[in-house]
Amino acid sequence: MRERLTGVRGLYRAGYRSVLAYRADLWFGIAGLVIQATLTVVVWRVLYAGHDEVAGIDRSTAVSYAVLAAAIQAVIMPWQFSSLPFRVLRGQIGVDMMRPRSLISQNLAQAVGTMVGRLPIGVAGLLTGLALGGVQPPRSAAGLGLWVISMSLGIANILIVNLLVSMTAFWTLEIGGFMIVYRFATAFLSGALIPLWFMPGWLQPILGWLPFQAQMYAPLSIWFGTRDGVLGVLALQVGWVVVLFGLLQLVWRRAVHKVVVLGG
Amino acid sequence: MIEVDALTKEFSRPDVRPGRFAGTRSLFTRARKVTRAVDGISFRIDAGELIGFLGPNGAGKSTTIKMLTGILVPTSGTVTVAGQVPWRDRRQNARTIGAVFGQRTQLWYDLPLRDSFGIIRDLYGMDAATYRTRLGEFTELLGLDEFIDTPVRSLSLGQRMRGDLVAAMLYAPPILYLDEPTVGLDVVAKGKIREFVAEINTRRGTTVVLTTHDMDDVERLCRRVIIIDHGVLLYEGDLESLKARYVTTRDIVVHATEFDLTSVASPFAEVLTAGPAKATLRFAPATTSTPKVVHDLTSRYPITDLSVLEPDLEDVIRQLYTERRTG
Repeated sequence: MRERLTGVRGLYRAGYRSVLAYRADLWFGIAGLVIQATLTVVVWRVLYAGHDEVAGIDRSTAVSYAVLAAAIQAVIMPWQFSSLPFRVLRGQIGVDMMRPRSLISQNLAQAVGTMVGRLPIGVAGLLTGLALGGVQPPRSAAGLGLWVISMSLGIANILIVNLLVSMTAFWTLEIGGFMIVYRFATAFLSGALIPLWFMPGWLQPILGWLPFQAQMYAPLSIWFGTRDGVLGVLALQVGWVVVLFGLLQLVWRRAVHKVVVLGG
Repeated sequence: MIEVDALTKEFSRPDVRPGRFAGTRSLFTRARKVTRAVDGISFRIDAGELIGFLGPNGAGKSTTIKMLTGILVPTSGTVTVAGQVPWRDRRQNARTIGAVFGQRTQLWYDLPLRDSFGIIRDLYGMDAATYRTRLGEFTELLGLDEFIDTPVRSLSLGQRMRGDLVAAMLYAPPILYLDEPTVGLDVVAKGKIREFVAEINTRRGTTVVLTTHDMDDVERLCRRVIIIDHGVLLYEGDLESLKARYVTTRDIVVHATEFDLTSVASPFAEVLTAGPAKATLRFAPATTSTPKVVHDLTSRYPITDLSVLEPDLEDVIRQLYTERRTG
């Protein structure tokens, strides 16, 4: 296990260094999120004008949720979340397959690196929210601890699903259209755009059983302590990570036979 | 070291029939067309060899190399590389082989060259001391120090190729695959790369499989070649016998300053061209020895300069390819 981790340590480094290599891009990301966080606070406050609660959620929770979700989304749901489709298209995948580590661990390590590289963006968003008094801290230290566990599971879920979706590139080369659908679906279904509290009643149980809510909504609802049965939520998250990881292995095993390394 | 037996690879792709609405129809049809890129090839390569793997474009060279490296799974046939089936135990195989593909790079585009080497050190679990010594050695051999801290995206093609070579040899694999390593390079860069390849082959005993269209590469580096076309083996053997088999004649060029060579003639050679100052004659070395022809000409004519043209590998290969295509 330990040897496995040191093996892909370099790829983790490659992930965050690649983010830092484009400094202008990182600064634009930070500036963008600061603006987004500010607008989020302002707009949600206007929306709540004259109401104490909407769907049982008070104003400060709703505003905090929106800011936190935006900050986390900026870090772990980047626009270009995996280099895999690009590498398949360019024939680079052949090189990856000649490495002494599995393609899955190489990709996951690099994705974690990218996430760490993008962390400053999220921190900037969070600080903006705090400065504007728009972010509520968790209710207790225990709550914070549970959030850390739940968020890690949420991140694992996102990274696995991202890679899973990227693997479509082995079957069909042009996946741009599919990616746009996926990106929108995941932002909406995970609760990153709109908290799932506000979804219509008939949709909520469906969303509850999809893997997406375990990415963002589950950890955030633990942060705000708006959900009962925290252990059940965590158990469901663990379940999803296990199932999705199994699925990833299965898809990869089939993809190997589909590999066509493009170009001379 | 490498054993290949009856290796075959077929590719299938959607069959688009030309005609009206061809594009639209292709959305709904499931018809596939099968092409056989490699068709029952067998050969073996011994440890420590530096072998040329040749063939025209589309001959199936790259497909074969991809199967040897374990990237592609063959349709049928067997391959063993250092006692392993490359695609079955890909991770174990990875430590046995290094590869340089001239058309693409294994380096990390956004990062300085040095970072790429660090990533490879981690991937292959190299200890710090070995890494340092080897990188130092290679840096000196290939003159990397002037650009090792430059991001790969800003390197010239020649620099990038040198970086790629080091990346492939850093963990000292016993086998190295080179797929057109000198394509598009200038004379100096080509020379450096050839020197390095020759060095690791003789000093470290690395088995090298070299795919190239550059016959200079082959003549300078390889003793034995494997030639394929249309997915089948055309020739396997050493370079000298290939030349001997295909070049049955040799040309001799003579110059004279105070004599008109227009009427030159020899019982041992046929006159190809004859001008006042220069003439070219052709003879068959199998029946007539070179000294015999030289002696005959120099004893009868006041010749000032004379040269025997070595068989040109490029001509041999051209002859081999066209023969195959027409025959």
